Amino acid sequence: MPENDAPLIETKNLQKSYFNEELETPVLFNIDLTIKKNEFVAIMGPSGSGKSTLMHILGFLDHHTGGEYLFQGQLAHEMDEDTLSRIRATRVSFVFQAFNLLPRASVEQNVMLPLIYHPTIPESERAERVAKAIETVGLTHRKNNLSNQLSGGEKQRTAIARALVTEPDIIFADEPTGNLDSVSGIQVMSALQELNEAGHTIILVTHEKSTAEHAERIIELFDGRITKDTTEFKTRKAKEEDSLQK
Amino acid sequence: MLIRDLFSTATKGVTVNRMRSLLTMLGIIIGVGAVVLMTGVGKSVEGVILGQIDIMGPQTMIISPGNQGPEGGNASMRPDFDALTFEDVKALRTLSTIRTIAPGIIVPGDAQYEQEKVDPMLVGSTPEYFQNQNIKVTQGRLHDQQDEEASSFVVVIGSEIAEDLFFTRNPIGKRIEIAGRKFTVIGVLESVGMVFFQNLDNRIVMPFSTAVAITNRTYADIVTMQAVDDFDIAFADVRALLRQRHSITPAEDGSVDNDDFLVRSAAQAEAILGTVSISLTVFITMIAGISLFVGGIGIMNIMLVSVTERTREIGLRKAVGAKRKDILFQILIESIFLTLIGGCIGIVIGIVLDFLIATAVGKFLADYEFAISLGAILLALAMAVVTGVIFGLYPARKASLLHPIEALRYE
Repeated sequence: MPENDAPLIETKNLQKSYFNEELETPVLFNIDLTIKKNEFVAIMGPSGSGKSTLMHILGFLDHHTGGEYLFQGQLAHEMDEDTLSRIRATRVSFVFQAFNLLPRASVEQNVMLPLIYHPTIPESERAERVAKAIETVGLTHRKNNLSNQLSGGEKQRTAIARALVTEPDIIFADEPTGNLDSVSGIQVMSALQELNEAGHTIILVTHEKSTAEHAERIIELFDGRITKDTTEFKTRKAKEEDSLQK
Repeated sequence: MLIRDLFSTATKGVTVNRMRSLLTMLGIIIGVGAVVLMTGVGKSVEGVILGQIDIMGPQTMIISPGNQGPEGGNASMRPDFDALTFEDVKALRTLSTIRTIAPGIIVPGDAQYEQEKVDPMLVGSTPEYFQNQNIKVTQGRLHDQQDEEASSFVVVIGSEIAEDLFFTRNPIGKRIEIAGRKFTVIGVLESVGMVFFQNLDNRIVMPFSTAVAITNRTYADIVTMQAVDDFDIAFADVRALLRQRHSITPAEDGSVDNDDFLVRSAAQAEAILGTVSISLTVFITMIAGISLFVGGIGIMNIMLVSVTERTREIGLRKAVGAKRKDILFQILIESIFLTLIGGCIGIVIGIVLDFLIATAVGKFLADYEFAISLGAILLALAMAVVTGVIFGLYPARKASLLHPIEALRYE
């Protein structure tokens, strides 16, 4: 299958176990999953269901221990360390629950970080890209502030700007609203929705149904197994369009 | 990752916690500073000693009576104090490898002019004495062969004696009293200062024959001479002649260190200086090595703490695409920065202290001049950088091998 026609993400019988000395703790069982470009997918499940582990594997932060993971038709386990780094630099990016911003760096410097490691974006484009990403999340007026001077919502929006500055194919968001109040949470989810509408594939991990409902598709996980994979939930915008049509 | 980004990231890593970085560098600062200071001081001291050797002249030899043994000692206190007879001196004059020979007698006593009294080093020697030691006058003249033959009561005085006895007055023609006899001052010697811990400006030199007449001596306290050409051959000739004349045979254990005289020379002093210089270099290098090793351990310790503290940051960098080598170089460059900056601070401190010492010592020892050893500075700096690489490598490798998700989860 040509690379362009291949699904962005495809897993076949994917498994993950943690090993502590001789003790094996399986956390993911037989995950079969296909995610296409420009989808907005929510992986939902209770704490300990394996949703974050799945996201880390799909985002090349962790390795699976069984089955296959194909990224645009390429087997992940055949990729060397440098290739994985390159994919993390160019194709995927992350928004973490705990923000993970550099504490003594400004918003601008934090957003700049992925560009330092990007192999193809020239230095001359950096400033423009950073400014654009910060503008997209509405933080231009705070660009020179240190990250520890920001509110929770602003921190997460900085993290989103950092995630989109390299214009990756997929943005992984791990409980992006988990540390935020409801107003900031809505702002962050709106930002992710806009990114999806702009062409990015969004994979969201959450345990909250209200957050997951922003996605077009919800994959439910329980005890390391997919229990439900549905596209019946639609984005708020799509729902609004549907109701207008009715 | 661009090299500029690498340096920029590493610089931030070092400057974020300045006090800790400074304390980390302390071992390197002290190590490099000590090397720069000690080599600078060593070079200054070497300059002083070489200057003094130059005053004597490289071909000059001095023979003292007595077997001084390894511990040395005062010539007059030893049983062989009368070993160098005038007959020996006559015999030495027959050697073709020796040019000028000047026997010398140390005359006891003070010198007085009017109310002023001094305690000089009184020497009676032939005119060759001045030639052998490259001594010139600033006023008047040196005593000559005529004075020698006539056993004249004339003296040539050192610059310090002239100042102590006559202040600003002209000493030439003045009569001073030495050991109850009146001597006419005919010349003032140029100032040469301290030579091998002996103040040569504090001497009074009279004709040898006059000194013999005063002391009734049959032996010399010192014989100065100059080699014609090859110093080593002259030295061997002198020694062989004196051993033969004094009927000295090798000791029972075969040792030939049983001379009853001692031959010293400027060349020997220079050779000894060379040995001392090498020993000093080895000593300084060892100190630098130990200091840099200790400093390096400090740096490794702090870099390990820093890596642990920044585990999440390293995880984040990996999550946004940093390769292993990016992290490895970042930590390694931070470590090299620490040692390099520490090394530069050490160099500045070493040079400043060296300068202050040179300024202070220069007031007492005119020949002591500020000197720095560029080679030692570059070597110390290179050693500091190598320390940074060696001791930074383990923490850097540890950081580079961190698993992204484990690093991100680290608390």
